[in-house]
Amino acid sequence: MTGWRARMAPYALLAPMLALVAVFVYLPILANIRFSFYRWSSLSPTWVFVGLANYRRLFADPLFWSSLGNNAIYAVASLAVQVACGLVLAAVLESTLLPRRLSGCFRVALFIPSVLPITAIGLLWQLLYQPAFGLVNAALETVGLGQFVHAWLGEESTALLSVVAVSQWQWTGYIAVLFVVAIRGIPRELYESAEIDGAGLIRQFFSITVPSVRQTTFVLVMITIFGAVKVFDIVWIMTGGGPNNASQTLGTYMYRSAFQTDAVGYGATIAVLMFALSSVFGLLNLWLQRRGE
Amino acid sequence: MRRRDFATGALAAASAAVLPRGAAQAQEKVTLSFLHKWPEPTYMAFFQKVVQEYEAAHPDISIKMDAVADDPYKAKIRVVMASGNIPDIYFSWSGEYAHQFVRAGRALDITAALQAPEWQGRWSAAMLEPFRFDGKLYGVPMNQSAAVFAYNRAIFARVGVTPPQNWSELLAVCEKLKAAGVTPIALGTQAPWTAAHYIGDLNAKLVPAATRAADYTLAAPEDKLFTDPGYTEALTRFQELLTKGYFNRSPNAMTMAMVRGSFASGREGMILTEIVTLDPMRSAKIGTDGLGMFPIPPIEDGRGDQKAVTGAPDGFLISSATQHPKQALDFLNVLTSRANGALYTKQTGRPSATIGAVTTDNASAEVLQGVALLQGASAMSLWLDTVIENRIAAVYLAGAQALMGGTATPAQVMENVRKTALEVKREGV
Repeated sequence: MTGWRARMAPYALLAPMLALVAVFVYLPILANIRFSFYRWSSLSPTWVFVGLANYRRLFADPLFWSSLGNNAIYAVASLAVQVACGLVLAAVLESTLLPRRLSGCFRVALFIPSVLPITAIGLLWQLLYQPAFGLVNAALETVGLGQFVHAWLGEESTALLSVVAVSQWQWTGYIAVLFVVAIRGIPRELYESAEIDGAGLIRQFFSITVPSVRQTTFVLVMITIFGAVKVFDIVWIMTGGGPNNASQTLGTYMYRSAFQTDAVGYGATIAVLMFALSSVFGLLNLWLQRRGE
Repeated sequence: MRRRDFATGALAAASAAVLPRGAAQAQEKVTLSFLHKWPEPTYMAFFQKVVQEYEAAHPDISIKMDAVADDPYKAKIRVVMASGNIPDIYFSWSGEYAHQFVRAGRALDITAALQAPEWQGRWSAAMLEPFRFDGKLYGVPMNQSAAVFAYNRAIFARVGVTPPQNWSELLAVCEKLKAAGVTPIALGTQAPWTAAHYIGDLNAKLVPAATRAADYTLAAPEDKLFTDPGYTEALTRFQELLTKGYFNRSPNAMTMAMVRGSFASGREGMILTEIVTLDPMRSAKIGTDGLGMFPIPPIEDGRGDQKAVTGAPDGFLISSATQHPKQALDFLNVLTSRANGALYTKQTGRPSATIGAVTTDNASAEVLQGVALLQGASAMSLWLDTVIENRIAAVYLAGAQALMGGTATPAQVMENVRKTALEVKREGV
């Protein structure tokens, strides 16, 4: 190929994909930012320009702050359980503690919840959490922990954490499998020489495994935080954001505003906030990643 | 040459045979788009039959029907409205819900059309009222429903109680059931609209009708908005049923499907439910004759309307932008005829709104009782979550969940309702 065509070739090949991304991702994001400056009901053809009024209302809205708090709880729990415990699980699965075949079985068993349809998971756990005949309370009573029995999804104090727990059950195995892939890339010799030097399994984990999977950790932390900011489906199915807004997250509040209480502009404002939050965390993560290199 | 001439001639002859001629050439195919919220097989079977019969009788009209379920409908209709591709005929709940479409200029004023002879005697005034705004009619009712108490006859007989005639008797019946070890009332408020039945009815019975109407439509002056003590009393009476142990444990953790199933398997004494659910709840356990119903009892010293029935019709609106209003109205006329109304009730179990459509041939004694209740009502108190503005309804329903969870008092809930109502009123919705 001649010089000009050779230089243009990569752009030409990228162009269709870029066009699709521009139309279906970036354009809606810009349109959404525009929507947030208007007050409109999806039923009415008239839009009223309100400038920053939606944003002012949002920052004064106690339900927004409580939803944001719930998302924060979601993020912290997901990082602690999915990422941290996921890494530990992966390390155990790949260690010499388990025979190969058993390790494979456990990997599959841990991974299965992440491929189940979300509606099935929601309904399944609704039944498990049922106060009168659900398995969770029955199990607690059987092992003598009857004092911890609750109406899990029905009490404001336990509703959010019950849903958070289901998310961890669903995704920890998936994260663990991704970590397994990363751990497999660590040269065996590092572990062997550490063993020779007298390092125990825990020391090997912190000194070899954790630093070696840093890149994967950064990516998974980012994905987990994005997931926590966006979470909608599992909450909507299990509690609808209730009882009394106890499990309301930004995602469910946004959906409710736009599609149930007919305040599409306000819903768009919440969406802009979610986008901003995700962007901030994403950039922070990238920066930390770059710094570490 | 000759082959081409022959081909051209053949083509001309063939097209002449195919193309319509004369008067038929002037007829255009009219397509009506029709959106409703009943994709379930029993309902679709009915609608498809009516559509097919109509298309056969009117070859120039073709009906494009689409249906999504109850909850997704609320989102779908908004998307459809925003896209501008508004169906010629679309489903709507009555009251404030339908009023939204009217205010946005999306519904056709059919007051004059419904004066025509083919519509007379179709519905009672009570059925049409919830579709009337500013004196004009916009909707065509399809079915009717009311909130009533269903009770387990066997349990009542065993414990020795009869359907209560007023609220104090209701409390006494609950006390007796509780003493006999039976959960008096089944309630599931995980989806809080179920609480709306109770609160809406209690509001109607405890708050004077004029005050309630002014508050619900936000027409009341700011300092009076939702200040009537009847509202707080309604929430107190609702919460009382929980604190006295008359509901099952943790209503917030139960879905309505779970409690209906529980009642149908003979566990609880009563359940507040809609007429349309009465027949499906007759199960092997409770038996075909094991279920009875009674209206929500009046409150002896209530300042509201004791004869108001909590219920509503729902039906269809016609798009104000439709190109074919006459055809749309004609189709709706056929859809809501007495014959089709009877078929609808028979196939789906949901009482048609059409006068004379619900008979002993297609409905059980309890459903007929419910329909008679609606016919004799002084007024219909519509579902609370469709009769007040969305944001206020959201706060009211969240408050009901808080009452059931014991995390708020009736006064606190009403304070939140008042605050939100003021905000919405000031925004000038």
